[in-house]
Amino acid sequence: MKAKVLYLITMVCVLAAGCAQETKMIDTRNDEGKAVMALDYRDFDLAASKMVQSMLGSGALKKADGGRYVVATGRIVNDTTQRIDTDQLMVKIETEILNSGQAVMTSAIGSGSDELLHETRELRDSEEFDPNTVAKRQTLIAPELTISGKIFQRNISYDRNTQQIEYYFQLKLSDVKSGLRFWQDETLIGKRGSNRSVSWQ
Amino acid sequence: MKKLEFVLIALIVFSSGCQKQNDSRIHVREGVASDTLGSNIVTRPVTHAFSALIGEGIEVTNAVTRMSDAGFLELYVNGNNTSYGTKRFRYRVEWLDKDGLIIETKTSVWLPMSAMGKSPFSIKAVAPRKQAVDFRMDTRKWE
Repeated sequence: MKAKVLYLITMVCVLAAGCAQETKMIDTRNDEGKAVMALDYRDFDLAASKMVQSMLGSGALKKADGGRYVVATGRIVNDTTQRIDTDQLMVKIETEILNSGQAVMTSAIGSGSDELLHETRELRDSEEFDPNTVAKRQTLIAPELTISGKIFQRNISYDRNTQQIEYYFQLKLSDVKSGLRFWQDETLIGKRGSNRSVSWQ
Repeated sequence: MKKLEFVLIALIVFSSGCQKQNDSRIHVREGVASDTLGSNIVTRPVTHAFSALIGEGIEVTNAVTRMSDAGFLELYVNGNNTSYGTKRFRYRVEWLDKDGLIIETKTSVWLPMSAMGKSPFSIKAVAPRKQAVDFRMDTRKWE
């Protein structure tokens, strides 16, 4: 009896292991996976690539005196039904702006700010720190340009079984002093699929 | 019999003579333009089937690079979709420095492209680094 039970348990385990979905790494360089209704990394890659090429190609970051602009990242509004960390888009864009050699990003202010920059300045009166190693007053550089934007979606009923989801990525680059907008662009990613697919995750 | 041949040839010559030559910059698509002897309700399915049979598709005619005012290399790829159907594909441009080495950028990703049947298309890409002096481009089917 015991042997039979053991045999059964072993068989169930073997069969269950055979049915389990194998975990595979995604080939993010040449992903041939199907498109999904929600936004995935390929959509952010596409949007970032188009935005960067548009921004650099426009010459908006070319400073007249040949120097580099100081750019701060402003608010990027997520107006989709998905929980998106907008850094998924902005880090790629900020990286390319930095590497282009035409501008530097600031961590002193904006959505990409680093709290430690301000906390370390509060150490000026501390007796524990060498005052010569603490940042002096008026040493932070103010941004000259800001990038802000929005990601939003529209859900449209295409037919009885199909829905259409349009994702809009909008970015704008503005001059802080004058308030003038130097560049802006929009990338649309449209998806059509089953009504049963959900785009809110 | 010879009369019939003469009439047919004359018809072809006259009908092609009546066909207006459009400005090459303006593409009047099949179904919008007037029917011709080579493209009408009778011949169209045959020509479309033949096109599919011989596997007509995307052909690149030229690739031009130039330096933008901002100092970045710009690439313009011009081509034609020789088939009758819309061709959707993906392309990826990678940028090379003066030593022919690849420059890693976040912009070198597969981007979608669509070219309508029997139409020209153009792709523009901008190198995000000033070190880029050359490029290589790859294509793949739109899954």
